[in-house]
Amino acid sequence: MIKKKRLLLTAMIVAMTAVTACSNNSGTNNNTEAGTNSGGNGNQAATTTEQSKVQEKVTFSVFNAAGAAKDINSNETTIGKLLEEQTGVNFKMEHLVGDINTKIGTMIASNDYPDLLIPDAAIDKVIDAGAFIPLNDLIDKFGPNIKRVYGPYMNQMKAADGNIYFIPFSNVVGEYIPSPSIDQGAFWVQRRVLKEAGYPKIKTLDEYFDMVKNYVEKHKDENLTGFISLTHDWRFFATSNPPMHLAGFPNDGNVTIDMSTFDAKVYADKDSTKKWLQKLNDVNAQGLFDKSSFVDNYDQYLAKLTSGKVVGFFDYGWQVGNATNALKDAGNDDLRYFPLPVTFDANTKDQYLDPPGFTSNRGIGITVSAKDPERIMQFLDNLLTDENQILSNWGIKGETYEVDENGRFYRTEEQIAKIDESFRETFGFKYFEWNWPKYGNGSSLPDGNSVAPGRQAEVFQMSLTEGDKTILEKYGAKTYADLFAAPDDRPWFPAWSFSKEQGSDAQIWETKKDELTKKYFPKLVLAKPEEFESMWTEYLDQFSKLDTAAYEKWTTDEVKKRIELAQTK
Amino acid sequence: MAKEASPGIQTTTPKPQTSHIPLFFKKLVQQRVLLLMSAPFLIWLFIFKYLPLWGWTIAFQDFKPAKSFSDQKWVGFEHFKMLFQDEKFIQVLRNTLAMSTINLVLGFVTAIVLALLLNELRFVLFKRLVQTVSYLPHFISWVVAANIIATALSPDNGIVNELLMWLGVIKEPILFLGIPEYFWGINGLSEVWKNVGWNTIVYLAAMTMIDPAQYEAAEIDGAGRIQRIWHITLPGIKPVIIVLLIMNIGYLLESGFEPQYLLGNGMNVDYSENLDIFVLKYGIAMGNFSLSVAAGMFKTVISFILLFAANYTAKRMGESRLF
Amino acid sequence: MANIMTSNTASTEGKKRRLRGGGRYGSLGDRVFDTCNIIFMLLLMVVTLYPFVNTLAVSLNNATDSIRGGIYLWPREFTLQNYSYVFNEATILGATFISIMRTVIGTIVTVFCSAMVAYTISRPDFVLRKFITIAFILTMYFNGGLIPNFLLIRDLGMINSFWVYIIPGIIGVFNLIIIRSFIEGLPESILESARIDGAGDFTTFAKIVLPLSLPVLATVALFTAVWQWNSWFDVFLYNSSEIKLSTLQYELQKILQNSNASMSAKSAGDAFANADNANANMVTPFSIRATMTIVASVPIILVYPFLQKYFVKGMTVGGVKG
Repeated sequence: MIKKKRLLLTAMIVAMTAVTACSNNSGTNNNTEAGTNSGGNGNQAATTTEQSKVQEKVTFSVFNAAGAAKDINSNETTIGKLLEEQTGVNFKMEHLVGDINTKIGTMIASNDYPDLLIPDAAIDKVIDAGAFIPLNDLIDKFGPNIKRVYGPYMNQMKAADGNIYFIPFSNVVGEYIPSPSIDQGAFWVQRRVLKEAGYPKIKTLDEYFDMVKNYVEKHKDENLTGFISLTHDWRFFATSNPPMHLAGFPNDGNVTIDMSTFDAKVYADKDSTKKWLQKLNDVNAQGLFDKSSFVDNYDQYLAKLTSGKVVGFFDYGWQVGNATNALKDAGNDDLRYFPLPVTFDANTKDQYLDPPGFTSNRGIGITVSAKDPERIMQFLDNLLTDENQILSNWGIKGETYEVDENGRFYRTEEQIAKIDESFRETFGFKYFEWNWPKYGNGSSLPDGNSVAPGRQAEVFQMSLTEGDKTILEKYGAKTYADLFAAPDDRPWFPAWSFSKEQGSDAQIWETKKDELTKKYFPKLVLAKPEEFESMWTEYLDQFSKLDTAAYEKWTTDEVKKRIELAQTK
Repeated sequence: MAKEASPGIQTTTPKPQTSHIPLFFKKLVQQRVLLLMSAPFLIWLFIFKYLPLWGWTIAFQDFKPAKSFSDQKWVGFEHFKMLFQDEKFIQVLRNTLAMSTINLVLGFVTAIVLALLLNELRFVLFKRLVQTVSYLPHFISWVVAANIIATALSPDNGIVNELLMWLGVIKEPILFLGIPEYFWGINGLSEVWKNVGWNTIVYLAAMTMIDPAQYEAAEIDGAGRIQRIWHITLPGIKPVIIVLLIMNIGYLLESGFEPQYLLGNGMNVDYSENLDIFVLKYGIAMGNFSLSVAAGMFKTVISFILLFAANYTAKRMGESRLF
Repeated sequence: MANIMTSNTASTEGKKRRLRGGGRYGSLGDRVFDTCNIIFMLLLMVVTLYPFVNTLAVSLNNATDSIRGGIYLWPREFTLQNYSYVFNEATILGATFISIMRTVIGTIVTVFCSAMVAYTISRPDFVLRKFITIAFILTMYFNGGLIPNFLLIRDLGMINSFWVYIIPGIIGVFNLIIIRSFIEGLPESILESARIDGAGDFTTFAKIVLPLSLPVLATVALFTAVWQWNSWFDVFLYNSSEIKLSTLQYELQKILQNSNASMSAKSAGDAFANADNANANMVTPFSIRATMTIVASVPIILVYPFLQKYFVKGMTVGGVKG
């Protein structure tokens, strides 16, 4: 007991010195030049050795339910080793393998947690169980960087009782840099189709399908498929979301949110969905639609995209990465796909790109089982210095990135080639890029460099092939994102991330709605055109059994709550 | 110990009039070796199987794992109501029973027939080869197997469609997984394909117990192959068949989960969704432990009824029975 | 494995028949039967071998290329990349060792204990016979649920211990019943003569019943071994934070999940820059799943020859019994 107390005391002293040391560091390193020396130059190394005399090394456990990677000790990675030198803290990392609800459920039932927990989708259950300790005081005492980085979002981070239980990841620091490539939704079409049509500006759904139709008809002997759609299991949203985007909204899930009244409206039973399905029905009647779309699993879908026989499809970029990578690998630019911001009518401004959002229902928290919350908090805070953000995103200067005479970060061909999957593991990018307190996607450093290498223009340009450059040039764009309209400000975004209580009415509504759309969409699309109307009526009839108004009200309330929180800084 | 046991044997016989209870204990003392051989496992059984049954109380609560037992909110039969009153319950139950019955009948018949046919193969090496190969699909996970099945059934160059077209049975490729009525059949055949070889193992083991002298006698009597199968092999494995059948009838509400989940889709959902999938969607996926437990209890009750009925029937028919 | 056992049985039978000259086998009906049977078996082999061959082909094919589909019997772009990705994992070796240990120990313990209980409930005069039988059988149809089971294991102190692989599965009821059915099928005369020789119940069980039941014990051993080898849920629930107790199946699950995650990370926006060059050693869940299947199933399929000699022994004793 006494021993324990003494340990705690030393730890606290150590912690104090560490804080002062760290804040000193960030003080001196706050200019751009010094920002690049996280590789451990003489100055820093000296501080570290000095610290290690007093600072006992500790190992904490962390369970990560969000990302899969090898289970390791963080100090076995290059980044983790450097962080350990700075703080004396090592993490024994475990990642989720099976079902998240089962694993978290057993943790809760036995009230036995790792020190740090990243519960991903089960975060509500964890908070509900009282497994996270309030962080307010800890942040006040040990979190200067957390305060700086999360300042504007502090209100949104608070639970109903005023406590902050976890630290989210998605806050944008500095000027927002949108993703240059399309990882979000788009209507995609094979590049050869655009080429043959003379690179037309495609704006509306009708234009899109006319182009597809023309191409398929001109190339009858090639046995082409005009359009396919992904419907497999939970990925069904790739088929049910387009009406929202076609009407000029970003991906808010089941609803579109009016920009002036902030009313949430379900669109699955509205005209937009009807228009979309009627179009697909029409396309099917013309023999352009692949009927197997409603039966194929994800692998079969990717196989079809990769076959080069499919002219167009709608999907989210992140979902077809396997296929687009494989096509890029194959090297035939004609068969690769090009994203188009298609809407119902030409006057609608497209909103395919995600606005900077603040996902407030995912994060990392310190559990009631934690041995030394203060030290953990210091570690978390220390991650949020500019130089440690550079370290965990760009790596070490001269090894994984370079700086040109203008202070711009870039990577050489060799560096890009070097950073493969196993390098990301041994270096530690894989462990510290995600799921730890960080500058959120699209953040930039004070000097204008992007925090994430992928969003740095220099890095992106290097990733483009000649073919990419040619087609982008035809459309007068430098990046794919240039083709799309800039996202409007939506402080609640994304509505699909609003956390729902387990088994709540909202959650049950979503499950029922999914069942209904999964069952009726195939019928509607594959119906004979003259039977579409009556089928639609039948669908509406079923849909009316759901308490959609309550769901809309619930979402609207959540939206308004978030807007309010965002305004009270 | 034999020494101690022997007086016991002697004392039992002359006391026909004692009531049952002392007799029972007397016998138990006599049979203490048997008791010693089984009692530790009874304790094991109690701890590992019966003790966790306190968990059934969860079905009557709005269970939250974080709360202690006394803090849980009790809701009575709420979750059972939710289960039984859902408009899809009947359909889901129908699909479950239909698929498990098909699986049961198809599974038994094919495994037994295959075991009998294997037993008739005369080239030992060939027989071994067939046996080994036939149970390989058992080692392939359903995820992989479902992919192979979906590819085979695909209208785009799927082998089944190609074959049927080549044979002239059909003119146009069929969207097999898109026709709800086909699903039960597809599911049943998939199960057979995956497990028939594996399921023969137990029957083949049973056949080793058949006295070879019987075959010799039959041969002398001039019985043919089919007759030998019918009169010797089949009766020889009948006890095992009956016991397995009774056990499996108890499982009629377990129609499997993975193939239905992996091969099911929006088009065939009316025929593919079974009880387990329903519980997954509304129970586990929503963190509603209570609903899953309620569904489990429902299944147990039905299982017991089926089990005792099947066992009773077997008893009445003079067949070997489970207990 | 069971096939060895049965084929051996068959081979002894076959030998006997052949010794006798087997006059009947020459008849026309027999020949038609045999031919049809062989053709049927060949067809069956084609259908059941295909999934394995297909999986093998996918596992040996370039992962990026496999996305295109259309791999049937052989790889299109041969590579060992998928295997090197799996075996690159430092934990695989230790995990394989634990898998072997749990399979071997678990199988021996389970078979022995199940046989012992099976023997007691096969004794017609045992007063607890019916009680024990029903007590066991009922447990096949219920389950206390995940949380109570977890808490039980925790309270027994079996979290992060090897024994959690063995003790909760000491007796499989299905196996128990199968063994009982066989023991009941043994000629009562043998057990009777043992008793006359003054053998107690345990001696009868160990010296007479066990050896005579070798064919069924081998069957049950096969079932148990496959079950032990394939389980990973108990690792996930109870031992996931103790890497030293991880098993092959669980590590393979991890690798699969890992390949899943790295794919989505690659395709997700911020990692896009890395995605391009990472193509060179890209793995996909599709390919890794195929590779896993081969890696995990080949060892257990190879267990078969080791069970074989017990079948042979079983048969010689079994032959005597007739």
